[in-house]
Amino acid sequence: MLRFTLERLVGMIVTMVLVSMMVFLIMEIPPGDYADRYAFRKYSGTGIAITEADIEAIRHDFGLDKPMVLRYVDWIGNIVLHGDFGQAFAFETDVIKVIGDKAWLTMAILFGTLLLTYLVSIPIGIYAAVRRASAADYGLTIFSYLGLALPNFLLALIMLYFANLRFGADIGGLFSAGMADASWSFAKVWDLIKHLWLPAFVLAWSAVAYQIQTIRATMSDELNKLSVTAARARGVPETRLLIKYPARLAINPVVSTIGFDVNRIFSELPIVAVVLGLTELGELLLNAYLDLDMYVAGAILLMLTFVIVVMNFISDILLAWLDPRIKLGNN
Amino acid sequence: MLKVENLSISFRTDEGLITPVEDISFEVRPGHTLGIVGESGSGKSISTKAVMQLLPGNGIISKEAKILYTDKSGKVMDINKLGKKGRAIRAIRGGEIGMIFQEPMASFSPVYTIGNQMVETIRLHRNVGRKDARRIAIGMLDKVGISNPEARIDQYPHEMSGGMRQRAMIALALSAGPALLIADEPTTALDVTIQAQVLDLMRNLQRDLSMGMIFITHDLGVISHIADDVAVMYLGTIVERGPTDKVIHEPAHPYTQGLIKALPSVDRLHDRLTPIPGDIPSPNERPTGCPFHTRCSKTIVGLCDRHQPQILQVGEDHTVRCFLHEKQGRATA
Repeated sequence: MLRFTLERLVGMIVTMVLVSMMVFLIMEIPPGDYADRYAFRKYSGTGIAITEADIEAIRHDFGLDKPMVLRYVDWIGNIVLHGDFGQAFAFETDVIKVIGDKAWLTMAILFGTLLLTYLVSIPIGIYAAVRRASAADYGLTIFSYLGLALPNFLLALIMLYFANLRFGADIGGLFSAGMADASWSFAKVWDLIKHLWLPAFVLAWSAVAYQIQTIRATMSDELNKLSVTAARARGVPETRLLIKYPARLAINPVVSTIGFDVNRIFSELPIVAVVLGLTELGELLLNAYLDLDMYVAGAILLMLTFVIVVMNFISDILLAWLDPRIKLGNN
Repeated sequence: MLKVENLSISFRTDEGLITPVEDISFEVRPGHTLGIVGESGSGKSISTKAVMQLLPGNGIISKEAKILYTDKSGKVMDINKLGKKGRAIRAIRGGEIGMIFQEPMASFSPVYTIGNQMVETIRLHRNVGRKDARRIAIGMLDKVGISNPEARIDQYPHEMSGGMRQRAMIALALSAGPALLIADEPTTALDVTIQAQVLDLMRNLQRDLSMGMIFITHDLGVISHIADDVAVMYLGTIVERGPTDKVIHEPAHPYTQGLIKALPSVDRLHDRLTPIPGDIPSPNERPTGCPFHTRCSKTIVGLCDRHQPQILQVGEDHTVRCFLHEKQGRATA
């Protein structure tokens, strides 16, 4: 297991290096750079004529005139060695300060959603498979098709409407008024959790529906395996038997798609965030691109891909732990 | 030690109720082996599953059936009354009656070591700690002829060869010390040479542990090596039952006679085999009358296709369900 983990860890680091290069390249793709944008902002409408030399000077001030390879090495070096993600030009401060809390809140939404997805879909999927062809099973199937059919921004609106109407609660945003600017404390974390369930619910909705069907299918297969009958024939009590034998293998496809789920949540988050009035990274990323504020965009892209790569690593390790044939096949 | 009377098994299906096993009775004597022979689809496997209450959810055991089992302490109970769940039936599964299957690879869970599954079984039925259970497991692996059991116990099923896995599975089924072992075609998936080894092993184990055994197979040749008594099944009924010697040498039912003729033998190398014509019908198209009359060479038209033959005695402990023995059977009965 140790060797398998180390191999995967090396693989993860190599992936991260390649990803960081790609992220940097993507940042370079839009025509022009922040020097153009800066000059335009500062001088448009003032009547002052700008020459190519002036822009060159600005470019030099921002350090954007150096060759791309050098800038990449500087950029990644500072991130790895000093945790310094560079300058956020448009905000005239460090990228870290701009992203800061938004990154943590995005992570909170992400992990809240993942946790909710798996805690709900795995037990329900197993239950549906065990009670196959019962009323409960059919009910759950209808529910999950509904889940797959309903777009989540619509669900977000519906939820918002009902939450306000029924509970009179202000659940837009991630904090209550007054809490948003308070410093981190237990009360603030609790406030966050109270607000987090709604976006987590909205984002988890379709994944839960999908994963219930996955688990139900694999669990049904596993339940028919001879090894389950054999364990029953040895007198293993039913609940323990279900968890130890079929369920352990049935959650395999869910574990192996953790990375996809993270990816999906990141892509769906911005639109849900707009509806629910959340502060998260997606909107910032979009604006950073519009402003050609490349280090902000780069930092966000790097963070998101980093999370996906790490979650894939965790998913690999979990898979090998769930099914020892995987790591043995590897050696 | 196990006496099954009037066992019928039905399944609820989309096409209605089908009854693949109808009114069978058999008995296993302590320390003896009952062989059950029959083609696939004859109901031999599900009959023994019913004994363990292991039928799938849509399977029903007839109410009037009696599955009388005498446990190690001498208490007699009717397994048919125990139901599929609960402590009583779980104590029997594994602890009183062990079961081994045709596919050793499929009957082990691939994600746990051999030892994990053995220790689990031992601790479910015997009041011992983890260490003692492991010691018992290693002893059992040694007993079934697995070399270096201290290392093998921590291996996964896929790290073993086919013959070794079959040995490990026998060890697993025996680890909790059952008094009766049900072996469902345990040698069918093995090479002939390994088949002989495993048969030998099972016979020795049975003698050493003085267990009763039910040995299911479609191979009469195997039966003649291992079984004391034999029951021949055709389409859900037992057509002939008796001591192995008698049934093999003086087969009374045309189906048993056909099975013996269809058996390849080294002595008759140049003779053509005589197969039984036709296929076994599916349980939901069971013929009226004697179920075998559609393939029987001695069918009495107007009798066999209309009436179900009764069980007739043709010798000491030797019974048959066939009209051909009607007079003779009445005479001895």
